[in-house]
Amino acid sequence: MRILIMEDDKQVAAFMCRGLREAGHVADAAHDGEEGLNMARDGQYDVLVVDRMMPRMDGLSVIETLRAEGAATPVLILSALGEVDDRVDGLKSGADDYLVKPYAFAELLARVEVLARRRDPGSVQTQLSVGDLEMDLLARTVKRGGEDVLLQPREFRLLEFLMRHAGQVVTRTMLLEKVWDYHFDPQTNVIDVHISRLRSKIDKPFGSTMLHTVRGAGYRLQA
Amino acid sequence: MSDTPAIAAAKGGRFLLPSFTRTTAFRLTLLSAALFAFSSFVILALVYAATLTAGVRRADNAIAQESVTIEARFRAEGVAAANRYIVQRSVAGGEFLYLLNQPSGRRLSGNISNLPATQPDAQGRVRFTYERAPVGGQAAAEPSRAARGLISELEGGYTLFVGLDVEDEARFVTYILNAVLIASGLAVAMGIVSGAVVSRRFARRLDDINAAAREVMAGRLQTRAPRNFSGDELDDLASNFNDMLDRVERLMQRMRSAGDSIAHDLRLPLTRMRGRLEAALVEAGDLADREAALAQAISDSDELLKTFNAVLSLSRLQTGERRRAFEALDPAEIVADVAELYEPVCEETGHDFAVDAAGDLSILGDRELVAQAVANLVDNAIKYTPVGGAIMLRVRSTSTGEVEISVTDTGPGIPEEERPRVLERFVRLEASRNLPGVGLGLSLVHAIAEVHGADLTLDDGPGGVDGSGPGLRIALRFPQHHP
Repeated sequence: MRILIMEDDKQVAAFMCRGLREAGHVADAAHDGEEGLNMARDGQYDVLVVDRMMPRMDGLSVIETLRAEGAATPVLILSALGEVDDRVDGLKSGADDYLVKPYAFAELLARVEVLARRRDPGSVQTQLSVGDLEMDLLARTVKRGGEDVLLQPREFRLLEFLMRHAGQVVTRTMLLEKVWDYHFDPQTNVIDVHISRLRSKIDKPFGSTMLHTVRGAGYRLQA
Repeated sequence: MSDTPAIAAAKGGRFLLPSFTRTTAFRLTLLSAALFAFSSFVILALVYAATLTAGVRRADNAIAQESVTIEARFRAEGVAAANRYIVQRSVAGGEFLYLLNQPSGRRLSGNISNLPATQPDAQGRVRFTYERAPVGGQAAAEPSRAARGLISELEGGYTLFVGLDVEDEARFVTYILNAVLIASGLAVAMGIVSGAVVSRRFARRLDDINAAAREVMAGRLQTRAPRNFSGDELDDLASNFNDMLDRVERLMQRMRSAGDSIAHDLRLPLTRMRGRLEAALVEAGDLADREAALAQAISDSDELLKTFNAVLSLSRLQTGERRRAFEALDPAEIVADVAELYEPVCEETGHDFAVDAAGDLSILGDRELVAQAVANLVDNAIKYTPVGGAIMLRVRSTSTGEVEISVTDTGPGIPEEERPRVLERFVRLEASRNLPGVGLGLSLVHAIAEVHGADLTLDDGPGGVDGSGPGLRIALRFPQHHP
């Protein structure tokens, strides 16, 4: 997919571009807000990664301008500030996700890929399925290979998020944010424990692994 | 561009004035003296005007009465009777001035020789000055005296003038006027003098404070402004100034020690990471070894990122910006959510985990922050409590009406003398240096408590699980919120 990086630090931008290209994407970089805005208008990008603080035009204004012009391209905003209020401001301006510097590149890659393959929010799904794993969102039931799997409410939400992003890498931070709605960093790896509980219910009894650990990044649910 | 002469003169003039004239105290004193002088001038001027008017009216009335008397005599008994009356009155030496002229304009009788030269008004009234005739051989040339008079036309073309000397009254009024002017001048002069004295005293004390400020700016932070403990405004200023310096000094000390601690906490993992990467590069290990070294380096850098994030959020918290996003929260719900997050962890680590959360309580705060504080406390409890120990999360309302969230464990506890220290940034007790995680946990909880106006207390717990210590009970006491 095509990704536009708006980042005034050229070294960081070059590093991000290289990493995204190695992951098989096409990546361009803009080094200030105006340049970024023009490139975003002309190019057909799937995802924009926008630094909040940029010369000539700040990231929030770029996003607001693009949204006012009707562009629906998903935007990931990067910020060195990183507190709840900043995140709220960022999301209000029309950004879709928010990442705080300093971040791990794996985190950025995972979020960009999730954003790019985001499903149309207009269509309401009631059934999710990945391989022989099925989820009924109305009846709140999960089946694997036709057999009922009993899940706690939080495990259900965890699996739902993983199924909605099947085949993609989701990081621990993403899970903590989207499933638990916490934006802080617990010192213990609580997510790992929840994942291993989920595994013991959806993988272990069936003898084949669907929920994989991606080293240095997070997890991936795959048939 | 050069200044116009006027501006240049004004600038130069400013430098010529003594420095005390530029002080606020001097200006205020001068202003009040000027106001006093002006108001006394206005009041005395009003008195002057009133006295003057009253004197003039009295004189005019007396003149009119005398004039009417002579006119009546003239009409009833003729010109000779009027003439006789005037002569009698003149000889008697009254204060009136008389003149009766024939139709031809010749003087018939009276004690002045000519009609006043000044033009009379419509009623015949006239103001004039005259020279008094020498009395009793005294040839003293008296200066001209102020007088008022009335000119009336009588039947048959005769002209009657009656006047009155008002010189004494005019002089009296002039004395008053002079006194007013002198008093005003004196008030201004005294204002200047007292202003100079007051401002010198005032300026000296302000100079002391200014000198202290300059010393501090020059880097001598321990300098303090002198106080005289009188409790007046200047003493108050000096006291506040000193308190401010105390706080700044404390903050700077805290920052310096925080900087040292950050450097210390970051240097160790960075050195370790560098060592690993170097070893992987130099040693001819196989691919798996190198991959393991890289994975370890990534996990080291994650640890560093965590430290950075914790420092950042701690700094942000201490500026108090988050307070404006406060809302009513149910502490039981927050605790239940955190418990739900950690319960599987405790199961895995072999800790007995219990939650006891009373409902129907409310606090004002930031959900995320309170959850983070509770999570941090549970994190710590898991980390320091030996396997087989117990961790208890509790929400209750205290007898004093506060809402208490507490985490109790059966670990080694914290010795009483170390308790205040663990709340500071980065301090990790020496005994636990070998455990993973950054030493920011408790200081973050402390900062969150401060933002919420909550008390953070550390107590002994119910006893250690294996006799290793008293256990630990950490409680956050929030003010109860009544929605």
